[in-house]
Amino acid sequence: MPPGGKGRECSESCLDFLTLQLVQHYRSQLQGPSQQAALDAVGERVGRQLAERYSRDRPPLTEALEVMKWLCKEFWGEVFRKGVDNLRTNHRGTFVLRDTQFRWLARLSQNQMPAQMGQPLPAPIPKNELAADYLILPCAIVRGALSQLGLECNVTADATSLPQVDFTVVLASAAAGGGGGAGGGAAGAVARR
Amino acid sequence: METISAEIFTLTYGSMVRQLIADYEDVEEVNKQLDKMGFSIGQRLIDEFLAKSKTQRCSDFREAAEKVAKVGFRMFLNTTAAVTNWNAEGTECSLILEDNPLTDFVELPEALSQLKYSNLLCGVIRGALEMVNMDVECTFVRDVLQGDDVYEMRLKLLSSSPETYPFKDDD
Amino acid sequence: MAMLSGWHRRMCEEDFKLMFGLFWSMRALATALDPKNPTKQQMGAPMRIGDGCSFNSFRTSSYKLHFLESPSGLKFVLTTDPSVGSMSEQLQYIYASLFVELVVKNPLYTPGEPFLFEPFSAALNKYMRTLGLLS
Repeated sequence: MPPGGKGRECSESCLDFLTLQLVQHYRSQLQGPSQQAALDAVGERVGRQLAERYSRDRPPLTEALEVMKWLCKEFWGEVFRKGVDNLRTNHRGTFVLRDTQFRWLARLSQNQMPAQMGQPLPAPIPKNELAADYLILPCAIVRGALSQLGLECNVTADATSLPQVDFTVVLASAAAGGGGGAGGGAAGAVARR
Repeated sequence: METISAEIFTLTYGSMVRQLIADYEDVEEVNKQLDKMGFSIGQRLIDEFLAKSKTQRCSDFREAAEKVAKVGFRMFLNTTAAVTNWNAEGTECSLILEDNPLTDFVELPEALSQLKYSNLLCGVIRGALEMVNMDVECTFVRDVLQGDDVYEMRLKLLSSSPETYPFKDDD
Repeated sequence: MAMLSGWHRRMCEEDFKLMFGLFWSMRALATALDPKNPTKQQMGAPMRIGDGCSFNSFRTSSYKLHFLESPSGLKFVLTTDPSVGSMSEQLQYIYASLFVELVVKNPLYTPGEPFLFEPFSAALNKYMRTLGLLS
């Protein structure tokens, strides 16, 4: 076993249980930041730190599309255990990343136990609704990672077809309707395709 | 057990602790929340531990402490703890960790000298043992982040009860 | 308490109580009657799960009931044809690989509360089919 630091491993359940509890903690808090704000902050920090670590020994990526490809392959593989299955872009700063088996939410399903035995099953809750709280953290991690690489963006997720999840990344420059560079920062200026 | 690179877990934990410090501004309260969150995790994690270690019984506190230290820490955190400093009655012991994955990359500023950074672990142990009907107290008494040589958790058995019959006799 | 039997039969609350009482008594009785245990335990004395001798199955003229109890108090129950052999390993697999993975790790499961999760039921039925216990 390596003496800590890089290369160390732990069981996947550690992370499963921690993220689950993190969501539940902020859901039950009546005071302090909202669940959204707290999980955004936690996730963005993690995303930045991971992106910084993973891209340390690699020449900087300068094109937005390059960054997205790196995100879908390397970053996704490390954090979400497998690469993104499909990346689509409108070439104007919007990217849709499809993970057909999004690992963090793979086990999420509705409890259909009726309140009283013998009663009919409760109506199904839309998957997007079931997943909403659990998607805040992964979206924030992705946003943090991209920001670390110089792409300020907005990330949303659609879990209508769980376990498939579609992440939509809209670069800040695209949302503002402007042309030219898509943010500066650690990776330097990024030219939009 | 499926394993992952520990840095994702360690960084997520660190980011969470930072957020709790920002939320509460009171270190004691952060310690308490970490313990509480750990407790809930322990209540879930116990079944993975029991099922995957094929543990059939958990009735002896000494045995339970050894299992937590040798099997539990290995299974989840890929490290082990030593069990030492038993009291005469066999109801109290120390778990010594030389290597704590939670604190990789962590340094604490002086203002956080009362922070029990890894307190989640105490809560996990407490929650897990509660599910096998052992009420324990678990606290950090030494912490490398606070300048000690090792991490030491003091584990104290408060009560251990048999399974209780949940229904009234005349129900 | 997790009840895995009765995928073909809806149980009512009274049945759960009766079954709990049955397993409770079986364990107490089995331990009290244990010829290998020199320290005779008082029948009905409080016991911890896993203490004394645990029972794994019983057989009636029409079915066999297989039983697994975890130290955390979960009880796994499976009824089969009386001719079926030991199911201990299979119940352990259900606990470790199906219950832990598909129930315990489902964020929407609350420990100790009744549940009905479709992926768990589906995986269980599939496993029962591979064992030839369900057609």
